[in-house]
Amino acid sequence: MSTETEKPEIIDESGDKYKYGFVTDIASDSAPMGLNEDIIRFISAKKGEPDWLLEWRLQAFRFWQKLEEPTWAKLHYDKIDYQSLHYYAAPKQKVSPKSLDEVAPELLATYAKLGIPLKEQEALAGVVAVDAVFDSVSVATTYRAKLAEQGIIFCSISEAIKHHPDLVRRYLGSVVPYTDNFFACLNSAVFTDGSFVYIPKGVRCPMELSTYFRINAKNTGQFERTLIIADEGSYVSYLEGCTAPQRDENQLHAAIVEIVILKDAEVKYSTVQNWYPGDKDGKGGVYNFVTKRAACRGANSKVSWTQVETGSAVTWKYPSCILQGDNSVGEFYSVAITNNLQQADTGTKMLHIGKNTTSKIISKGISAGRSNQTYRGLVKVSPHASGARNYSQCDSLLIGDSCGSHTVPYVENRNKTARLEHEATTSKISDEQLFYCRQRGIGEEEAVSLIVNGFCKEVMQHLPLEFAIEAAKLINISLEGSVG
Amino acid sequence: MKTPLLEIEDLCARVQDKEIIKGFNLTINAGEVHAIMGPNGAGKSTLSYVLCGKPGYEVTSGKVRFKGQDLLSMSVEERAREGLFLIMQYPVEIPGVPVTTFLKHAINAVRKHRQEPELDTPSFLKLIREESKKLGISADMLKRPVNVGFSGGEKKRLETLQLSILKPSFAILDEADSGLDIDALKVVADGVNAERSDSNAMLVITHYQRLLNYIVPDFVHVFADGHIVQSGGKELALELEESGYARFVKEKN
Amino acid sequence: MSGLLQNIELPDSTLPWLFALREKGREAFIRQGLPTAKTEAWKYTRPRDLQVDDFVMQTSPCHCSDECDCEHHHHSSSLGDALPFDCYALHFDNGHLRHEHLPLPRGVQIMPLSDAFSFADDIKSRLGKTLNLDKYPFAALNTAYLNEGVYISIAKHTRLDKPLALVYHTHSCHDNLFFNLRNLIVVESGAKVELIEYHHYSGAEKSRYFANLVNEIFVGRDAVLSHYKLQDEAFKAVHIAFNGVKVKGGGAYRSFCLQRGANLARNETFVSLTEEGASTEVNAAYIMNGWATIDTTTDVEHLAPHTVSSQLVKGVVGGEAKGVFQGKIHIAPHAVKTEGRQLHKALLLTDTAEVDCKPELEIFADDVKCSHGAASGELDEEQLFYMRSRGIGEDEAKQLLIDAYLEDVLNTLPDTSVKQWFASKVK
Repeated sequence: MSTETEKPEIIDESGDKYKYGFVTDIASDSAPMGLNEDIIRFISAKKGEPDWLLEWRLQAFRFWQKLEEPTWAKLHYDKIDYQSLHYYAAPKQKVSPKSLDEVAPELLATYAKLGIPLKEQEALAGVVAVDAVFDSVSVATTYRAKLAEQGIIFCSISEAIKHHPDLVRRYLGSVVPYTDNFFACLNSAVFTDGSFVYIPKGVRCPMELSTYFRINAKNTGQFERTLIIADEGSYVSYLEGCTAPQRDENQLHAAIVEIVILKDAEVKYSTVQNWYPGDKDGKGGVYNFVTKRAACRGANSKVSWTQVETGSAVTWKYPSCILQGDNSVGEFYSVAITNNLQQADTGTKMLHIGKNTTSKIISKGISAGRSNQTYRGLVKVSPHASGARNYSQCDSLLIGDSCGSHTVPYVENRNKTARLEHEATTSKISDEQLFYCRQRGIGEEEAVSLIVNGFCKEVMQHLPLEFAIEAAKLINISLEGSVG
Repeated sequence: MKTPLLEIEDLCARVQDKEIIKGFNLTINAGEVHAIMGPNGAGKSTLSYVLCGKPGYEVTSGKVRFKGQDLLSMSVEERAREGLFLIMQYPVEIPGVPVTTFLKHAINAVRKHRQEPELDTPSFLKLIREESKKLGISADMLKRPVNVGFSGGEKKRLETLQLSILKPSFAILDEADSGLDIDALKVVADGVNAERSDSNAMLVITHYQRLLNYIVPDFVHVFADGHIVQSGGKELALELEESGYARFVKEKN
Repeated sequence: MSGLLQNIELPDSTLPWLFALREKGREAFIRQGLPTAKTEAWKYTRPRDLQVDDFVMQTSPCHCSDECDCEHHHHSSSLGDALPFDCYALHFDNGHLRHEHLPLPRGVQIMPLSDAFSFADDIKSRLGKTLNLDKYPFAALNTAYLNEGVYISIAKHTRLDKPLALVYHTHSCHDNLFFNLRNLIVVESGAKVELIEYHHYSGAEKSRYFANLVNEIFVGRDAVLSHYKLQDEAFKAVHIAFNGVKVKGGGAYRSFCLQRGANLARNETFVSLTEEGASTEVNAAYIMNGWATIDTTTDVEHLAPHTVSSQLVKGVVGGEAKGVFQGKIHIAPHAVKTEGRQLHKALLLTDTAEVDCKPELEIFADDVKCSHGAASGELDEEQLFYMRSRGIGEDEAKQLLIDAYLEDVLNTLPDTSVKQWFASKVK
């Protein structure tokens, strides 16, 4: 993707550098504020859903009412009033678009600003198919026809519910049941849209699939839900990007990604998360509570999570791998950057259940300003997971003396043949490295960015190339003003 | 015609609370190569760090003029961009940053300062390929992160490569021969000698005379107790090799 | 509420400050109750499962008949064998300090804690100051029953010619004995002391008792306290120990704890490095079988710049046992130029063994060097095979490999007869 197409206007009164802080002026069709069973019925009816799904949502909602918001993460934020949010906000459009030509031009302009040239991509024989989700509603999915030739289904989850109900019913909630946690449960009750992917047996998806998430409407929670199913022997690489306008209020984002991977299949899931982080005094910003989990159900299946987390005021996110199939592999590569007053509590869970399962965790955390960051991870080996292997490495870099960096790994081993290794370090950018770069004429800020990018290299190299370039730029933007 | 490039007057400097450079005086003109020799622990490396402006090295008094400008008021990178280059004794490792990326940032920072256009990727690659070939640096080494896992010889070759592409007007070689076998030493010395010209100058800091067989100085100074205690021509180095530094150290007591 | 809180009249409750302190302990314990599965600090060690609340407190030494297997019988016997090195030894029998004359060198003051309440000048300013009652339920319980234990004070610049030893003999004929002990150890500036702590059992094999111990330790400027502990309790015993340590500038607290006994044991050490140049080593080993849970929990808090800590913990777990390590390094804001290192490694010997580990870094200063590592695995099959192929029996080969595995942590001890004693206990 190219970011050079059109320079977005930046709402820049605060002097902040958030590039995606514009608001698109589109009339949106939203549910009344608050949450109750009627709202859930409203959402379900709006989307023309079958009864079983409404019933499932209601069950989730009833369960959610009994749950308490978790407090174990090292995060501090004002209590969220779940009754003062809108749970549904769709861009107003009479009928769902059949092709890009039918999509409102304002929307397309927004995506262009975001650096997603949908038009261009449909025209060119590109490499990325895009599903764009705007305030929880999928507005356009490109390349659908081309993908369909190989039996690949790539559409919004609402459409999947209509056209592929068997697949959805079989797998929805099978990896993240609504009983899983507070935010996942809320999502199950109110999710409005998201992407759906099915890769048939033996098919290698010929292009990267990509979703762009954007929160636009005011006081709106975004609750998208993504379901990816990789059938036996298939492969897909999936990219997710997120942005939100700059607003003074905090916006809530509670998403779910579920991935089911069958025998010999592989899924690569990459995220560049750049939700609005709030201003430098911590005003505004997205609360990002996300449950992402992949189940490696079949033998020799593989999942690889790569994330670059630069945005959000608060991040609570632990993309996890359930390694059920023998010889299955789980990987987690993460770069998280926090600056100003951002807070992130992120990490992964590797649950080794099958025999000879392998997992690898590489986490790089960079804290600057007055931000706080925690790596929290679990590696658990069950008694039957003989031959399990895990290698974890968590490195943290602190920039400035007012930030915090924390590492909380849990390692639980119940099989003697398992071999688990965990290493973590915390340090600052070394004075020697900085001096060396500066002695060669490189300015301090540029030197810091070089060193930080070097520090993240091991993770960045797992991103698809275009995404990696974008992510490197984001890292530099995120660190602006943190030096000196 | 002698143009003073670097003029050091009564320089005093300390590290933490320890006075290490005590009344150091030296003028180096364009086209000259000076060698500073002295016992271990005399503060030779401190001198090079002070000149480059390394944080933690505090100048307490004295003046340093570089090409007529006040060197001490410049930041580390400004000094570098003005053409002051230090071949370090122990270059630091920078994980994850490939040599080529690093070099590109450095060369363009320097060019920008000289108000020259930035090098585009093809011309940049062409330049470093040519220069690395002369120094026996492999393409593989250029892809590796800066100094990470490099042998002593590889590190010094990379330092020399930077010298040859950044074309500084004044280079300080701090114990450039440490950790080198004789073949590597020759390669580095050849690389350094190739850069010698009438318009630039060098300061070679060394404990042993050996290096000066390959990089022949115009002047040799003996450095002890924070300042120069004796100066002479290149023959002084040979003399020191014979007699050692004992008499300079003794003089102090 | 837990049966651990019993209505027992303790002496000295007439001292108002002491009474208030005990009350605070009692209230804090009632507030927290016994840790449950949801208590993060006790995530892997569950005292509740053991029904610890049916233990019975005994307020005075046992006075039972001669055929009973109690302290009278043991007084004269095997103590010499218990510690095979020369030391100044203080003995406890079933949780009660044995009152006997101990010739002490200059600069060393020792008295029963109950005497210290009235006679030690610094007792009020120190007692309870190394622990947060709301964080440590068992230390709160211990505070509620504050009475037994010793007060040890080492005067400035004192060097002892041999170690000081605290020997805890348990040999009760009563089942379900519960005892609380609190020791207050003050090492004044410039002094240097070695303290050995030995918990052992000699009685009916299946005896069940609960030892709840708290050591409060103050290490003065440039003082060094080496604290070596061997926990070898009866296999059905519960042993919960908390060591609260404060170290001043230039001072050092070096500890090593080998745990090999008890059904449920936790040795928790909280070291606060309060001034520049303070340092600590918190090393430990555990070797276990059966159904035991042995927990080593450490928390090192760097509150000042230029402080250094290192932790090395190694475990060998067999049977259906569970080894637990929780370690934390906390670096306060502005505690720059600090170094904290931590490494935990465990060896699993059987299919039913379990190791749970949570090494934690909590860092609020940028100019620091901190690292932790954790690893677990089994004995190397190749190495075993190699040894067996040279005629060494399997058990012997395993023992050789276990010895080798634990060698580095044992090597953190100074090369003396104390080290040899510990080495003989990992067999």
